[in-house]
Amino acid sequence: MPRWGMVIDVKRCIACWGCTIACKEEHFLPPGVFFNRVLIGESGKFPTSSKLIYPILCNHCSDAACVEACPTGATYVREDGIVAIDDEKCVGCRACMVSCPYQQRTYYDEKVKEREYFPGQGKTEMEIIGEKLYPFKLGTVVKCNFCTERLEDGMKKGLTPGKDEDATPACVNICPVNARVFGDLDDPNSEINRMIMEKKGKQLRKEFGTEPAVYYID
Amino acid sequence: MNDKHQDLVETMFPSDGSGIKPYEWMISPTRQRQWIDDKGIFLWLAFFFSEIGAGLYFMSLFYSFRPGIVLGWLITLVLGGLIHMLYLGNPKRAWRMIMKPNTSELSRGIWIIGVFAVLGFLQIITPGGFNMVFNFIMGVLCLLIISHGFATMNVIRALPAWNSTIVLPLSIISGIWVGHQLLQFMFALSDKAAVASGMEVWAATFFLIYFLCILLYAWGTWHSSEAAKASIRKMLEGDLKRITYIGVGVLAILVPLVFTLIMWGGNTNGFLIFLRLASVCAGDLAIRYLIMKSAVYNPLI
Amino acid sequence: MTYKTDEIWEDKWVNTTCGVCYCGCGAKVRVVNGVPVKIEGIKESTMGGTGAGLCGKGAAGLMYYHDPNRIKKPLLRTNPEKGIGVDPKWKEIEWDEALDIISTKMKKIMEDDPNKILFTNQTMRASDGPHNHPYFYAQAYGVKNNGNFIIGGGSLHCGNACHMLGGLIHGAWSIAPDWRYTKYVLKWGSSKGTGSGHSAMTNARLRADAIRRGIKEIVFDPMGNFAGGKATEWLAILPGTDTAVGLAIANYIVNIRKEMDELYLKAKTNFVYLIKDDGTYLRHEKSDKPMVYDTRDGKVKEYDDTSAAWEDLALDGEYEYNGEKVRPCFVPFKEHLKQFTVEWAADISTVPAAKILEVAKGWVDNAQIGSTITIEGKTFPYRPVSSVTFRGSQGHTNGIHQVAAIDLMSQLVGAEDVPGGTLGWPAIRRAYPGGHYEQTCSVGTDGVIVPSVFYSHDPWPVHAPSYPATNMGCVDVWTHCTLSHIPYVEEVDYIHEKLGMKSKPEMIFGISANFVISNSDWDTAVKNFKDCFVVQMDLWVNETDQAIGDLILPDVSYLEKDCWSSEIDAFFFSGSPSYEDWYVHLQKPVAKPIGESRFFMDVYIDVANRVGVLDKFNAKLNDYYGIEDPELQIKPGEVLDWKQIGERVLKWVYGPDKEKIEEQGYATWHKPIEDVYWRWEIDSRCPVYMEYLIHDRRALEKIFEETDFDYKKLEMDMDQYTPLPSWFWPESHKDLDNEFDLLAFSYRDILHTNNTTFQNPYVDEVSQMCPYTFTITLNTTMAKEKGFKDGDIIWIENKYGVKEKGIVKTMEAQSPKVIGIAGQGGLWADGRPIAKGKGANFCKLLPSKLKYFDPVAGNMETAVAVKIYKA
Repeated sequence: MPRWGMVIDVKRCIACWGCTIACKEEHFLPPGVFFNRVLIGESGKFPTSSKLIYPILCNHCSDAACVEACPTGATYVREDGIVAIDDEKCVGCRACMVSCPYQQRTYYDEKVKEREYFPGQGKTEMEIIGEKLYPFKLGTVVKCNFCTERLEDGMKKGLTPGKDEDATPACVNICPVNARVFGDLDDPNSEINRMIMEKKGKQLRKEFGTEPAVYYID
Repeated sequence: MNDKHQDLVETMFPSDGSGIKPYEWMISPTRQRQWIDDKGIFLWLAFFFSEIGAGLYFMSLFYSFRPGIVLGWLITLVLGGLIHMLYLGNPKRAWRMIMKPNTSELSRGIWIIGVFAVLGFLQIITPGGFNMVFNFIMGVLCLLIISHGFATMNVIRALPAWNSTIVLPLSIISGIWVGHQLLQFMFALSDKAAVASGMEVWAATFFLIYFLCILLYAWGTWHSSEAAKASIRKMLEGDLKRITYIGVGVLAILVPLVFTLIMWGGNTNGFLIFLRLASVCAGDLAIRYLIMKSAVYNPLI
Repeated sequence: MTYKTDEIWEDKWVNTTCGVCYCGCGAKVRVVNGVPVKIEGIKESTMGGTGAGLCGKGAAGLMYYHDPNRIKKPLLRTNPEKGIGVDPKWKEIEWDEALDIISTKMKKIMEDDPNKILFTNQTMRASDGPHNHPYFYAQAYGVKNNGNFIIGGGSLHCGNACHMLGGLIHGAWSIAPDWRYTKYVLKWGSSKGTGSGHSAMTNARLRADAIRRGIKEIVFDPMGNFAGGKATEWLAILPGTDTAVGLAIANYIVNIRKEMDELYLKAKTNFVYLIKDDGTYLRHEKSDKPMVYDTRDGKVKEYDDTSAAWEDLALDGEYEYNGEKVRPCFVPFKEHLKQFTVEWAADISTVPAAKILEVAKGWVDNAQIGSTITIEGKTFPYRPVSSVTFRGSQGHTNGIHQVAAIDLMSQLVGAEDVPGGTLGWPAIRRAYPGGHYEQTCSVGTDGVIVPSVFYSHDPWPVHAPSYPATNMGCVDVWTHCTLSHIPYVEEVDYIHEKLGMKSKPEMIFGISANFVISNSDWDTAVKNFKDCFVVQMDLWVNETDQAIGDLILPDVSYLEKDCWSSEIDAFFFSGSPSYEDWYVHLQKPVAKPIGESRFFMDVYIDVANRVGVLDKFNAKLNDYYGIEDPELQIKPGEVLDWKQIGERVLKWVYGPDKEKIEEQGYATWHKPIEDVYWRWEIDSRCPVYMEYLIHDRRALEKIFEETDFDYKKLEMDMDQYTPLPSWFWPESHKDLDNEFDLLAFSYRDILHTNNTTFQNPYVDEVSQMCPYTFTITLNTTMAKEKGFKDGDIIWIENKYGVKEKGIVKTMEAQSPKVIGIAGQGGLWADGRPIAKGKGANFCKLLPSKLKYFDPVAGNMETAVAVKIYKA
């Protein structure tokens, strides 16, 4: 069984927000809900200051704080390393949200569901069809799922996640500068493992000990 | 032409206590919102009520005071429990929360409250229920419930201001202190003014410990980590500082101190006890609010 | 969370071309039950990012289709009063009535003078389509050359000087580093490879690979954000002072280091041309060709005399020809450069002298002069250094000298159109195998390249200035303008009167342009255009439509558009500049047009038909695509819509593969390597010594004298008409004083294309998470000194009392003497509620007097002296 992970090449990223928006389209996310974001910061002082750009998403930690905090078992780590949420079990206590050091979870309630991209002008056809195609359950917590559906459907067709578009997360596909690579962390020969080794891949805030599956290289 | 600048400023640059600048989200220390903002306010109330209910129950055990344990039991379960349920996204599934006591503090809390509900009920209805064994078990359960709110917060490593060990003593003493005040007030209301007067020496003691724990919490948190320090700073600057100075400085510390001095040596009266109780409750709510509102996550970059 | 499949009767992907900016990346759209729901790039194509990559705003393009604010029927103004803040009182009318109004008006104007009709093109692909067609559409009406174009989306901030020199040096619209082979890149006020410029994502992909490979990228920019923030090294520079640094580097190369690619200079530049005392070329009595000196024979010869070997041509010395003293123009050039020391450049630009020297050294060290590289069996000179500029540095009154200085260092080491150097977008487009439409550049007079296709007019040969001026833009006089600045100039009436311009415009026929707010001073724009009958085809009622529009026609967005032609003729700026195969995408409709919206090409045809000029337009189409097959030619009297025309043109262009290409949505074929690295394949020379400017100056001074045109009063700096790239203070710097002590500049945010993207809720949402997009940036220390903090609302005011409100955001990575404003915010049109009130408008702060425009190329001064204070 693979353990899915991702390497994000910060050097390549130009902060175009493609990942953020493609992800919104893939999962029909309402306004204000993001499974992918880009953090833009600065370090140092003029004239040698530098811009920091970090695309972030759920880290799919193997020792996830959210899983530990969940009182119902709705949030769990799948065999393939993906941190998933069973929306039939989630009570909406949001302990997972508070516990996540990476703040990658969103509470989906009536208020979120009612939001419109064109406020006061009604929902667009896309938003309406999205609620059918990709329904979220009210009162539950939602987050990035590494595009589980794409992975599973793709693999059923014999495709390889990380290589074939149809079996790879949407944010990886959309990245115009190849700043995201998806693959199997358990396979010592995988491209992502090679990159992590060669470029000394780092996990964000490793000190929380959650063992993120997303690595950054620069 | 552009009258919308103010709107944009409010979205992008909300004043520090009330919101988060979207571009600073997880780039500078970022405030915890789920458990205090909007519906999160229920959780603040739920933790408060279950704590003071359990505090009252706990103190009542020492005086074998049945009305005290009845009221404590009710406050903990009805106010604390119900308000907590209101907070949940799917209250009908709340039973599922017993599923993960091995890892989830929340789940453990549900178990404790369940046991407390059953045993407490038995103690209430059992004549002679105030025996050593019962009292001991219920006392332990009360202490666990008192600290449950803070314990739930304490296990969250992501929020350093909660994750400090000093949170627990503060929560226990505050539960005992508020419970004690409730009980003292109940005695003052009933015809047992002498008991209330006798309790005053404990009031002074608990208050002193409570005060020291607040200081210890502030000092310890300040020195524990950068993010925790940012939390304390948030309490002292910006929108929260009024709550800190009035809520903690005046209501939790200064007013009770004045009343405690006035009633020094057991010179109690019902009205003063009531005023002190009100002030202590408000102060305790303020401290809880501040701790919940000011907790920040470490920036990711 | 699972996909609900039972209610889905259609779920498909359609290949098309992205239309959110002018880059034209391949894009595919997921359509579910007829509703477009997702956009990605096309994996197979090199037009765009890696794999199925597409940038954020490209992905967000969906919202153009879903926006409920799109106009659905033609709108007619009923309030005769025009202006900003005046309600036009729109009335919905039928298409037939609208077209009738337009054609009646046009016919009437044409009886008098067709030059009284203005047209706009625009660079906003949400509606944009065929690129060059509006120009010859206008010609079908009898409009003369490009003077009747008032620029749309990109506005005059776009690259008049860049395009001019791009054309003269590379035969191309724009330039880019050869990311695949370069080692050392200098970017000057340009974000190529980091999100902007032509073929933005193609370049971003190539750059990312190059950066990973370990190249050095040095960015000169007032702010370290999109380009500077990603650079190996960012060097803060004041806007408009790049020339100084460029010339200092050139001086270092020529006079200090003395390491040049001499063979290149002798073979590929005009440095060997002999000039007389007055600086003009010595020309052959009969052939009129410039002359060179052959050191082997000791003879003066015509420059293309094959008896002279390149290496024998003289770069130095002084010679005599028919009793006249002549010398290679490199001699005064070299002398001229000596004044530009690094210390001098440091004083002007604020880039430390040591840094300039370091960059200059790095440049020569990395140039590998004399080295060669063999790629696929072909050997080329290898010069892995590249110096590129675009909108930022050229947008100043000294624009032409900025671009010339930045180009100069590449010339000196021979790094032009060779592996590793600076490339133009393809100058050569070979025909599709089995098809037609081959475009190759030719070599014109004096050995200068003539681009195969160019917008508006060819940069070479230069037309001699003449008068009376025949159109609003007066391009008869200002001959180098890609698009003229004169329509926006405050003194336009004086200019027209003196230069005898009789065709006072009466009508504008525009496409989604927002020229009232996107160019310079708003009031001047309203004043200059409000008396025209303004017809615009648009997606929304934008600011220009609301202020001065008379009749607004609903246009389709790119998602509803059937445009076979989008990229065929755009090869010279919208393809991969690198050695990668050709990919030319079609724009295929993804959904049905919104409301009664119609594709503007079909409206064009309809109007032309009503006016009676359709045959002329069709004939121009036949000519443009070079259609020789009589079956495919459009015949007189034939009325075909754009799709039907496409049936024929595509057959001509792609031959038997037409159906296959339409089916897959793009055509692809091999690009030969020598078409990319063509510098040594085509016998041409770069006019680095800008001799033509001497003649232009003489002609202009004569015209001004004869017409009593007081150019001195208008402060038009004629000294810039000099053949030697020289230093001129940009007009904005001259305005700086104790009160107006900051230079405001604007920059392109990766999320935005002009102002259309401000109406996109996806883009809007993420823009609010960006620190700088909707704010005004100030250097942190400077802001503190002046007492400003993040979130303060401030006024920015120029010397003419024009002011704009904005929200402060401080950043370290910005020169302390400037303030930065992203794009074209500060919008107020009621027709675009998402955009309304977002960001700040930079353009309005730019004064529109003639002196704020580059006297040669017509660039606008896109920096402005301002003061800021709390609102």
